[in-house]
Amino acid sequence: MKLNSREQNGVIVLEPKGKIMGGPDATVLKEAIREHVNQNAKNVVIDLKEVDWMNSTGLGIMISCLKTVREAGGEMKLSNVTDKIKSLLTITKLITVFDAYNSTDEAVASIGKQ
Amino acid sequence: MLNKPEIQQNRITIPSDPALIREVDEFVESRLRERNLADTLIADIAICATEIVNNGINHGNKQDLNKTVTLELKLDPEQVVIVVTDQGISFDPRRVEDPVDPRNLLREVGRGIFIVKHLMDTVEIGRAEGGGTVVTLTKKIA
Repeated sequence: MKLNSREQNGVIVLEPKGKIMGGPDATVLKEAIREHVNQNAKNVVIDLKEVDWMNSTGLGIMISCLKTVREAGGEMKLSNVTDKIKSLLTITKLITVFDAYNSTDEAVASIGKQ
Repeated sequence: MLNKPEIQQNRITIPSDPALIREVDEFVESRLRERNLADTLIADIAICATEIVNNGINHGNKQDLNKTVTLELKLDPEQVVIVVTDQGISFDPRRVEDPVDPRNLLREVGRGIFIVKHLMDTVEIGRAEGGGTVVTLTKKIA
């Protein structure tokens, strides 16, 4: 998995690419989130457009990121969730835990409005 | 001690290093692509293969590099069979808490077998000769 990071309207947008299945993936995303939170950038969108699929380890990483952001008082949203990942979120009922948006623009715009 | 993945036809054996899960995924996907299966089916099978091998590496073998996890792929015309064998402590799925119970939704682990049971047609968990766990998954492809 590769990870790109950028800022959009004061929100950190993380763009992982590939598959999130464990091994080194576990630390890359978590560390990126921690670094941003430590720099007081607490609002994050994870754009999943380029993620082919993830397994339960990947879902666990997403939950860990969500907790880190919430504990810092920020918000985390998902965008461009593919059908494969959406079906995993539905099976595991994590669709009730994550806020998912069709586009990154929508996800960024939603921050601070709940 | 095995220090890198070993591939023999439709079988891959890896030391219990979590970083090697990618090699397992690449092995499974490449074999399945040779059969021209649909992308979504390949993804389901690869997700489940990585779930079970991750379990073997982390929960069965406890990341002991002296122990291995072996995945064997059987490609029949009507179904794919995956057999994963580790050398660790036998796994009891009854000990896993229900991951969709609202109290467990924010847990970071404990969903692997649950997902596999949803995506595969059958899941059998048994004891390997000399200890360890054998997990057999089947998925119909025709």
